[in-house]
Amino acid sequence: MSAVSLTGAKAAGSTRFGGALVYLRTMALFVLAWYVGSLFVPSKLLLPSPLAVAAALRDTALNGELFGNALISLARLLASLLAAAAIAVPLGLLMGRSRLWNDLLELPVEMLRPIAGIAWIPLALYLFGIGHRLPLFIMFYTAFFPLLVGTAAGAAAVDKRLIAAARTMGLSGPTIMRRVIVPAALPAILVSARLAVAASWTAVVAAELVGAPNGLGYAIEYYRSMLSTPTVMAFIVTIGVLGFLTDKGLRQLSKVLTPWAQTGAAR
Amino acid sequence: MKRMALRLVVPVLLLVGWQLLASGSAQAPRPSTVVEAAIAMLRDGDLLAGLATSLGRVFAGFAIAACVAIPLGIAMGSMPTVERNLDPLVETFRPIAALAILPLVILWLGSGSGAAIAIVAYAAFFPILINTISGVKRIEPSLMRAALTMGLKPLTRMRVVLLPAALPSILVGMRIGLGIAWTAIIAAELAVGAKSGSSGGIGQMMFVFYAYSIDLNGMVVCMIAVGIVAFALDRALRWALAITVPWSRL
Amino acid sequence: MSAPKIRLDSVSKSFGGSVVAVDKLSLDIRDGEFLAIVGPSGCGKTTVLNMLAGLEPATSGTMALNGKPIEGPGAERGVMFQDYALFPWRTVRGNVEFGLVYGPAGNGLSPAERTERVERTIEMVGLKGSQDKYPHQLSGGMRQRVALARLMASEPEILLMDEPLAALDAQTRVILQDELLRIWGQDRPASERRTVVFITHAIDEAVFLADRVAVLSSHPGRLKQIVDIDLPRPRGDATRRSGDFARLCQSIWELIREEAYRATMN
Repeated sequence: MSAVSLTGAKAAGSTRFGGALVYLRTMALFVLAWYVGSLFVPSKLLLPSPLAVAAALRDTALNGELFGNALISLARLLASLLAAAAIAVPLGLLMGRSRLWNDLLELPVEMLRPIAGIAWIPLALYLFGIGHRLPLFIMFYTAFFPLLVGTAAGAAAVDKRLIAAARTMGLSGPTIMRRVIVPAALPAILVSARLAVAASWTAVVAAELVGAPNGLGYAIEYYRSMLSTPTVMAFIVTIGVLGFLTDKGLRQLSKVLTPWAQTGAAR
Repeated sequence: MKRMALRLVVPVLLLVGWQLLASGSAQAPRPSTVVEAAIAMLRDGDLLAGLATSLGRVFAGFAIAACVAIPLGIAMGSMPTVERNLDPLVETFRPIAALAILPLVILWLGSGSGAAIAIVAYAAFFPILINTISGVKRIEPSLMRAALTMGLKPLTRMRVVLLPAALPSILVGMRIGLGIAWTAIIAAELAVGAKSGSSGGIGQMMFVFYAYSIDLNGMVVCMIAVGIVAFALDRALRWALAITVPWSRL
Repeated sequence: MSAPKIRLDSVSKSFGGSVVAVDKLSLDIRDGEFLAIVGPSGCGKTTVLNMLAGLEPATSGTMALNGKPIEGPGAERGVMFQDYALFPWRTVRGNVEFGLVYGPAGNGLSPAERTERVERTIEMVGLKGSQDKYPHQLSGGMRQRVALARLMASEPEILLMDEPLAALDAQTRVILQDELLRIWGQDRPASERRTVVFITHAIDEAVFLADRVAVLSSHPGRLKQIVDIDLPRPRGDATRRSGDFARLCQSIWELIREEAYRATMN
């Protein structure tokens, strides 16, 4: 994938263009099939035509509802992810490099991790009520474990010879952590960040659907109860696009931060 | 021995902290009351019935997802034209969280098992598909060439080279998909229970405990049960992986 | 002189229209001979082998086997790959019997005959006792033997080998060179031997094994010369120590020295 030849520069541009064409062709066929399908479904409630969904997208975009709710959900994602990373990454580094910390934390982590963040929703409803804190807590919890486990695994897998080399050069423990272990584990940390974002993006929808007064999940549920299927679909499209863009952004970030790393098949 | 004690320190502290924290309120669940509730729920069979309902839906949806995703993944992985033309659809729908389409699914299939199974199938579909594609694409080219030089027919090649070579990756996809499916069923039942009456299953039980009977002990028992099932499903598939592909060290 | 087993007639292969890997190669390969192809890296040795195997078509020119054009892979031409291409999910026995069970090579064999042949081949390459091991449990030398056994079990008319000993350490290599000649049948009369096309970059290996050595030049790959190796068979350690052996190696080295230097320095 990463093989770039000297003569390939021009070809890459044309294949990217070709890729976009294939994308457009496939999606055009899909939308066409959807449109034809909607003609045969008598109820506009069950399957609105793509035109109705486009109109709903336009209307909600114009009156600010789309961006408002999207911003709220994105802000929650960012806040909970940063909070989770601030705790999980240092803890993961400790677990990966120190047997004491690993012994202390491994069992509770393995006990809590299988309980999905979504399963905390009823308890969180009781504890926090409907509002900001519920989706934030659920998303924090959901993002926390992939980050912790991924960082610990990355830190534990650092090539022993690299650390030995740093020792022979007389580096101190903290310097080795900062200059050797963290960079060596960074690709693994970034991969786990992508998994964490994907998981919390699913969780935000669930949490807002049940227990938030705003956000994309709330909007979907609200318009479902209003029986406005085109608007529901407009918000679903928005969730998909934002999920795609956040993942793309994180992939780009990985490329910038770790240009030496192989971006393998992990998707 | 010392290590064992070390490993128990944090769990014990957590339990003690929980007990102390909860003793302020009469309603709040405590470790002791949760154990009592668990025994009661196991005895009257509610817990197991709820888990059975949810697991049944998970397996049904998971089976549907696997039956579509594995053949499709093999086709996409082995035929570049198919992959290029279908990849846009996959990339478009994959980022849409399964829960987001729940309102639509309820609209189409009602709020019973059908909707829950559809959500599970959707959630499990993409991990299986993507791992199947990458498994097929990462087959060592010389293995396919070796089969060619021995004169194998195309269908035989697929059966005895392509499929076993991609199997470890397919099984990894199934393990991830099953985990996601289990999360999705909880969310689906919770949301269906929250919005439109009864659907059964462990997720709905949790919502009933929250919204109607306000039995927090029962709710925590359900959470622990959800965790245990998730753990058991993961271990079962890891074990299946180790048994069926002893040559692989994934 | 009988008709050649394989005839290459000004065969060329280019990739992407511009890179010429093989340029107008003409070569006759005789029935029952051991032909080695040597050359510096970039001379298109592997491409020649892949074309003979039918895995890659020639861009121009003709290739014929027994007078019939080569148009794709066939079970009468067995290939041993550089990385061995062992199926990791099949045991030693499962790999050796693969072509007999799933390919046309086993047609007309009863299950008992098949089992007998598989066991005999495993014994011949010295893997008795390891039949039920998986490739990842074997050493490099043992894997190489499995690949050789898989090749021999199908009893192809022609054995195509792509640097099969390249990945091994020096001692294992010498031992397996001796084994290879024994299995090929250097003790038997020439009429009972199979035709071998053996790709290598090691000149001493080519000289030790082959009846003739085809020397290729690189960029593009052209046939530089064919050297007859008239060292007596059976060959062994005495051959390696002989003056004739050293002289032949030296003369081939002279042929490609300049290019090998150029390839290394660039």
